[in-house]
Amino acid sequence: MSVIAPKFKLSEFIKSLLDNVFWIILLLVLVGLPAVFMILFVIELPVINGELLTPFLALTWLADPSRILPVVKAFMGTDIFRVMAFPGFGFAALLAAGTIFVERKMLAKLQLRVGPFYCGKFEGILQLMGDGLKLISKEIIIPAKADKPIFWAAPVLFVAAAAAFVAFIPVAPGWVVTDVDLGLLGVFAVIGFFPIITILSAWSANSKFPFIGGIRALFQMVSFEIPLILSLLGVVMLTGSLNLSEIAASQSVFPWIVFLPVGAIVFFITMLAELERIPFDLPEAESEIVAGWLTELSGMLYGLVQLGTYLKLYAFAGLFVVLFLGGWNGPMIVPQFPAEILANGITMGPVTLNPPGLPLFTQEMLNGTLMFILKTAGVIFFILLPRGVFPRIRVDMLLNLGWGKLIGLAFVNIFIALGLLYAGVLGPGGLQ
Amino acid sequence: MADAVFLALAVITIGSAIAALEMRSLIYGSIALMGTLGGVAGFFFLLDAPFVALFQIAVYVGSIAVLILFTVMLVKRELIFKKIEDKRRKFAGIGLMLVFMVALGAVFLDSGIKTITTDEPAPDFRDIGIDFVTYYWPALILMGLILAGSVTGSLVLARREDVENDQRAN
Repeated sequence: MSVIAPKFKLSEFIKSLLDNVFWIILLLVLVGLPAVFMILFVIELPVINGELLTPFLALTWLADPSRILPVVKAFMGTDIFRVMAFPGFGFAALLAAGTIFVERKMLAKLQLRVGPFYCGKFEGILQLMGDGLKLISKEIIIPAKADKPIFWAAPVLFVAAAAAFVAFIPVAPGWVVTDVDLGLLGVFAVIGFFPIITILSAWSANSKFPFIGGIRALFQMVSFEIPLILSLLGVVMLTGSLNLSEIAASQSVFPWIVFLPVGAIVFFITMLAELERIPFDLPEAESEIVAGWLTELSGMLYGLVQLGTYLKLYAFAGLFVVLFLGGWNGPMIVPQFPAEILANGITMGPVTLNPPGLPLFTQEMLNGTLMFILKTAGVIFFILLPRGVFPRIRVDMLLNLGWGKLIGLAFVNIFIALGLLYAGVLGPGGLQ
Repeated sequence: MADAVFLALAVITIGSAIAALEMRSLIYGSIALMGTLGGVAGFFFLLDAPFVALFQIAVYVGSIAVLILFTVMLVKRELIFKKIEDKRRKFAGIGLMLVFMVALGAVFLDSGIKTITTDEPAPDFRDIGIDFVTYYWPALILMGLILAGSVTGSLVLARREDVENDQRAN
């Protein structure tokens, strides 16, 4: 009979734990705290509630849980929180993980299968975590004649480019990582990096299936970038702005899809092609070329590429919502923060808790986020749906569609936008 | 701050340009070329022209560099390139470059560009667009015609007669 650890002794185990605790405390005292205080000399500390946040004040507040909210609020205003947690990477990765799970379950239901079921008691809800742990713990195998630097760098660059794409998407009024004037142009610039990373990754593996897949991906992405950019010009003409927040805010009365359905359809189809989703999944055609340009990637490198793919999917869906479906605009359904808590605090028996810094989020922000998530989930659903329905199309049909039909339709969309503008329906003197 | 960024960008741009010329591997050479083009985009950012910078990234890094990369990957380079190792040519080239750079630098410094100081805000891209369709419209039309002509020309040149249409089913 095999056991996992044959020479296991509880006393040894406890001793090793105590050893670790000892070394952690020692290093923290001798290295960690001096380092923290040296850093605190250099950085500028924020002013919270009219008081300069010195380290002593911060420690005082940490000891008093009722005064922690202003600190949390100040932290949520910083750039690092925006980049890492809320409108940026963490939020997008959470949505991406949800997308993967929903895709697997929904596809299974469409095909009369069960899908992930056993992992985590209820409907396989822990399957993703298991897959993630599996990918992290697997060995990374690099082909013998691969170009190692590029092979290692390409998945990381892929995630980085996807995260840069996510950074442009405004989630709620004022909640966006980079609120730049030329946000849409920035999006175009970031989209341009994906084919480069794909072809470099495919070439560096030095194997024929990745190379075929990479060349297909390059064909597909480069030729669908043109209708992608052209189909968004109509929105830019009607809004007169390239700032994505301004574009979202301009749709408070009606979304642009009402006036530009052609552009929305063209953008949706090009989106499917840029994301390499069925029916345009030629670069990863698993029945022809194993896994396309992902064939030689293993372990966490494959996991990173998958993460990047789903981040990109979220970002494209978010872009569709911002440009055509009105972004965060929608009916106000989140209730207002109860006024008596603000005035009197929370009474629990003899204790009254009246923490400063409430409410943590404004009503507009919560409602906007909710609306944005609902709309994005709808768009993601429509991106996932063709996978259960359509077969894969041939590469010549794909290029014919991209160059022949979609570019023409994108120009039709531009002329519709110009017509609306010059007829006075929209723009100055018109509806908006 | 701006000076440090300028120096870093200059080092990146010139260094990757030299690397693009001197690398033995053509793939790494084209990656270095991407670095050069990205560095130029950084200069545009530094000059308060984000519109031009983003187009530099979208068009040059995103499309032209991909085109070069793609061509390099598909071509068997041993068949078309012959290595010519010639010390004298190399030094002559470097000398010519230095002469050009000194001459251009002298012209620039002599033109009084260092005495210009301005606090004007960067021009809005909307103004550029309005200028294009009002005052500079002949230039725009001319550019459009040249582009259309070159696209048509390349299509004519690239047209192959040996592809039979009946092999393709619609």
